[in-house]
Amino acid sequence: MKSVLLLLCVFIVCCLPADKKDKFTVVVFKHGKIAGDPEPFRKLLKKFEDENPGIVIRDEMLPASTDEQHQFYVINLEGKSSDFDVLSMDVIWVHEFARAGWLRDLTHMLSGEDRNDFFPGPMQAVTYNNRVYAIPWYIDAGLLYYRKDLLEKYGFSPPVTWEELIRIAQYIISREPGLYGFIWQGKQYEGLVCNVLEYLWGNGGDILRDGKVVIYSDENIHALRFIRDLIIKYKVTPPLVTTAIEESTRHIFGNGRALFMRNWPYAWNIFEKEGSPVKGMVGVTLLPSFSKGPSASTLGGWQLGVNKYSKHPEEAEKLVEFFALPESQKILAITLGYKPARRSLYSDKELIKEQPFIAGLYDVFMNARPRPLTPYYMMITQVTQPEFSAALSGIKTPEESLKAAQRQIDYILAAER
Amino acid sequence: MKKESGNRFIFPALLILFLVTVYPVFYVFYLSFHRRLLIFDISKFVGLDNYLFLLRDDRFWNALKNTVYFTSVSVSLELAIGLSIAVLLNRSFRFRGVTRAVVLIPWAVPTVVSARMWEWIYNTDFGILNYTLGAKINWLGSPFWAIHAAILMDVWKTTPFVAILLIAGLQVIPKELYMAAKVDGAGNWAIFRRITLPLLKPIILVVLLFRTLDAFRVFDAVYVLTGGGPANTTETLSIYAYKVLFQTLQFGYGSTLSVVVFLCIGSISVFYIKLLSKGIK
Repeated sequence: MKSVLLLLCVFIVCCLPADKKDKFTVVVFKHGKIAGDPEPFRKLLKKFEDENPGIVIRDEMLPASTDEQHQFYVINLEGKSSDFDVLSMDVIWVHEFARAGWLRDLTHMLSGEDRNDFFPGPMQAVTYNNRVYAIPWYIDAGLLYYRKDLLEKYGFSPPVTWEELIRIAQYIISREPGLYGFIWQGKQYEGLVCNVLEYLWGNGGDILRDGKVVIYSDENIHALRFIRDLIIKYKVTPPLVTTAIEESTRHIFGNGRALFMRNWPYAWNIFEKEGSPVKGMVGVTLLPSFSKGPSASTLGGWQLGVNKYSKHPEEAEKLVEFFALPESQKILAITLGYKPARRSLYSDKELIKEQPFIAGLYDVFMNARPRPLTPYYMMITQVTQPEFSAALSGIKTPEESLKAAQRQIDYILAAER
Repeated sequence: MKKESGNRFIFPALLILFLVTVYPVFYVFYLSFHRRLLIFDISKFVGLDNYLFLLRDDRFWNALKNTVYFTSVSVSLELAIGLSIAVLLNRSFRFRGVTRAVVLIPWAVPTVVSARMWEWIYNTDFGILNYTLGAKINWLGSPFWAIHAAILMDVWKTTPFVAILLIAGLQVIPKELYMAAKVDGAGNWAIFRRITLPLLKPIILVVLLFRTLDAFRVFDAVYVLTGGGPANTTETLSIYAYKVLFQTLQFGYGSTLSVVVFLCIGSISVFYIKLLSKGIK
């Protein structure tokens, strides 16, 4: 028994905080993996430390998959952890975390001018019950990539409507053996919901409207059937998309094996790298629209918030403020290709010179819509992922799958209210 | 006196066991009668509501069906192939030691690594399987093939484990029996049926017990390979429970699912252990 007690004492002593820094406040910043060279990011943190003597930043990397990052936050914040102060959040989490009471209200940090400068999509995503709980850090949205050289060769301009895309793709792939027409992300995962929503919105449909579940609608049935028809009727999309995620489509397109691709902006820098088989042959544009509707694009991207349980909220706010500055967002755009969440930067001469591609993204980001804004989004997506997948793989008709989704989402929202 | 001090020594171990196994199991039972969404401060007793919902939950029945199918097909294949390999490797030939070691390789590869590997093998466009077959089959994307692709991966990975256990069993069978049978003029098939199989029965049951339990709880391999898709055709009970518990954080209903998995596994174990004790008698 004595030795057990002894062991216990040793254990407790080991668990005590080893060093207490009196002079410095340590702010812990949790974020995902930095794409590419981490050096510029470090430099930026150093710059902040130089400008704010007395604050030391410790940046800590989260697990690679976004699902695991979400799980990490939920477990720690549910346990009221104060081990980290600043957290980076996917656009779909802010409402959930705000509803759970885990985020510090940051409304006072944004002036009216700032609010106008951030893109409307991310602004909606960080606003819950008229209060702002996070600051947009960088932005993402679905785009249409196309092969400039092939369109020119056959005398087409980039498609504006889905009908045009089908016509062009059918024409060109019948003359270019081994070329896929149009690829996108159709595996059963969050990316599938991002893809499908673009068609639903483009056709005037939605999942939630004014807090009501409206997923079972004629517009949505039509749109979902159209996606399935891309594969089985028009045959411009190969069946392999039902296992495809961003990277698998990026590989196919990057090897010159596809004419059109739906993907996020990150792929562009990879295509333009030295040695890429498609360097200089790629163009991007808005996703096509249905003949009468607008083009719609799903919003992605990351936001910075402050942990409600943080022991140094003022210092944490300073760091968030620093990353919200146009200068900081510009540096990350130039060095890492992170797309700034601020509109004004898209007419910045220096940035456009470094990243010519960025000016063309302005319209895409203005158009980008957040996925259903509700604290229950994570539950809803667990319903829509398999139902959309069932419709694409032909296990259910679009009508059956949307009806099933409507019933399940209704149940979730009714039961948890 | 002696006995008493012994009890004192095992007390810490018992306490730890209680804390890490018994308590959580009971807590999960307790949770399964609640609607609990901690992050939104929703927590109330709902009696049997979760269990009633489970009876009507198509997704649960689908997951149960997938799990049973996955388990029965993969375990029978593993046993059949594993037994053949074991019988072959039990004969004496040159390089037998090396061959036995090589056979074990799939079992030694970490599950997640092998799942990633198979994901590439099954790739429609670049995958070696389609390349070899000269086909364009959408292995992981078509509702029919995906579950079978997962089964094939599991068979590849765990057959060595079955084979090694069975080899151990084979080696215990006395050589004299085989010699006597030969002297009596028994053919190979008769020897296998009348001597090998009956004497191997206890070890076969142990193998079946291990494998059935493992296959029934399958999570990591399939989760990495398909994530449960397409259209939930590869979603097993463990994957569904994981999604409900850790992705949507419905601790109540997630616990209900876990309890059901627990009960299934419990009854499988009881069934096999009964068979085993009969076999030994």
